Amino acid sequence: MKASSFRYLVNQGFKGIWKNRMMTFASFCILLVSLLMVGLAVLVELNLTRIISGIEGKSEVMVVIKDGTDQAGIDRLEADLKAAGNINTVTFYSRDAAWKDITEDMTDEEKALFDYAEDDNPLPDVFKITVNDIEKMSETTAQIETFMNVESTKSPDKFTNFLISMRRILTIVGFAVIAALVVVSLIIISNTTRASVFSRRKEINIMKYVGATNSFIRIPFFVEGMIVGIFAAVGALFLTKFSYEGVYNVFNSDFSLWQVLGIHNLYKFSDLYLYVALAYIAAGALIGAIGTSISTGKHLKV
Amino acid sequence: MVEFKDVSVTYSSGVDALNKVNLKINDGDFAFVVGSSGAGKSTLIKLVLKEIDATSGTVLVNGFNLRKLRRRKIPKLRRTIGVVFQDFRLIPTMTVYENVAFVLRVIDAPSKYIRNRVPYVISLVGLSDKAKAYPTELSGGEQQRVALARALVNDPKLIIADEPTGNIDPALSYEIVELLKGINECGTTILMVTHEHDLVRHFGGRIININKGSIAFDEVVEGSNESK
Ligand SMILES: Nc1ncnc2c1ncn2[C@@H]1O[C@H](COP(=O)(O)OP(=O)(O)OP(=O)(O)O)[C@@H](O)[C@H]1O
Ligand SMILES: [Mg+2]
Repeated sequence: MKASSFRYLVNQGFKGIWKNRMMTFASFCILLVSLLMVGLAVLVELNLTRIISGIEGKSEVMVVIKDGTDQAGIDRLEADLKAAGNINTVTFYSRDAAWKDITEDMTDEEKALFDYAEDDNPLPDVFKITVNDIEKMSETTAQIETFMNVESTKSPDKFTNFLISMRRILTIVGFAVIAALVVVSLIIISNTTRASVFSRRKEINIMKYVGATNSFIRIPFFVEGMIVGIFAAVGALFLTKFSYEGVYNVFNSDFSLWQVLGIHNLYKFSDLYLYVALAYIAAGALIGAIGTSISTGKHLKV
Repeated sequence: MVEFKDVSVTYSSGVDALNKVNLKINDGDFAFVVGSSGAGKSTLIKLVLKEIDATSGTVLVNGFNLRKLRRRKIPKLRRTIGVVFQDFRLIPTMTVYENVAFVLRVIDAPSKYIRNRVPYVISLVGLSDKAKAYPTELSGGEQQRVALARALVNDPKLIIADEPTGNIDPALSYEIVELLKGINECGTTILMVTHEHDLVRHFGGRIININKGSIAFDEVVEGSNESK
């Protein structure tokens, strides 16, 4: 095909947008809403996962050090812990510091009760560790218990299990919701493009009668679908930005309830902007172009 | 050249539209195809365009054996044929000029050639002043002339017309046939289906009468107004 012919076909694609503006507009709206629905669902899912991860990150395992371990032994254990897999942070919490923290909150009478301990602190030295993957926490603690100078470990099992099941449910439900939205969107989009192409089947027919090849007929449709898809993506991007930032600002305020619930720690839209934009444009252009040219297929068989 | 050898067509509905038809239309011929409604005239045209395939028999068109012609090669066949339909079939979103030029774009013609050829052909059918109009802005007769311009812009060997005068004023029918005659005189083969007996009587020439899927009559007849 000559360059001039190709240019003609691409040009026809652009012209088609205006010439068939009613159907084009319908496709545009449908695509935009679909992208927006799926996009927002993905963003919600991402943030819920992040919130849970945030809470998970705060659940600590206490590694109790055997009484009487010397500094060298403690240092060695610290190195062992850091070298073990699935460990995020390791913090030493000395018995003195622990004692101070406990007594700080006590009233004088209470202190008097523990008077005997003043010189004989009953608390052990511990390492506080956090893990990367909370689901492997029990394996990690089992491993740590085999280390030298470890007396025992204490992990927040019930809470951890709750978080784990929360995250599993969230993953499954989130995936199901997103998949359902994708399927519904594709069905609606394919119906719209089919209707849009159907309204032009006569035109396609005529082109075939005068000897046009299938690709000659398809290219303008392809271009047209792609451009509509890109416009829909840009529209969806702006709407996503406004709605996301609206929600973000609500939860990012100083209101303490959000902080307690851990919802203040959402992704900033500016961090996601590029990915969202790329995903929207790729999906919009691809679905628009491919959807439209598939729909032309069955009218080409004359 | 169009040749039918023992061609039969049975539609999936069970209707026998054509029955062992033998027919030969030589290059440069002008033939009218007549016959009552449902006789199989449009079926004949559809065969020539390979819109449908013969149930049995051989169809040869411009050197293509249509039974052996692959689906992908159909555009090649159709580029050697100009078609005119009763309902014009112009692309409504394109101007007169674009409708005609489209046929040349399809064959990748140089743009300079398109710029010269299209206005020339539009002037042949007398529509130079309507080149920028859209089909809906034209009368039936004008639309059919655009269709004619489109059929001949590509200089095809064969023009087939399925009741090209069916939707236009009888007076204008003569004009359309005159145009076709003129094209025929330049060497293009013309196959025209029509219901209008007056028209056939007036022009004369080869007349093929189809009746219930068979050729009932195929002879050259003197026109009542040939000498003008
Ligand atoms: N697509 C089809 N499927 C089934 N039967 C068909 C189809 N097209 C035509 N027929 C039948 O085949 C026969 C011939 O039809 P055809 O269209 O060739 O007639 P025709 O001579 O062109 O008639 P008219 O003058 O009314 O246009 C008719 O009985 C018609 O009902
Ligand atoms: Mg017919």
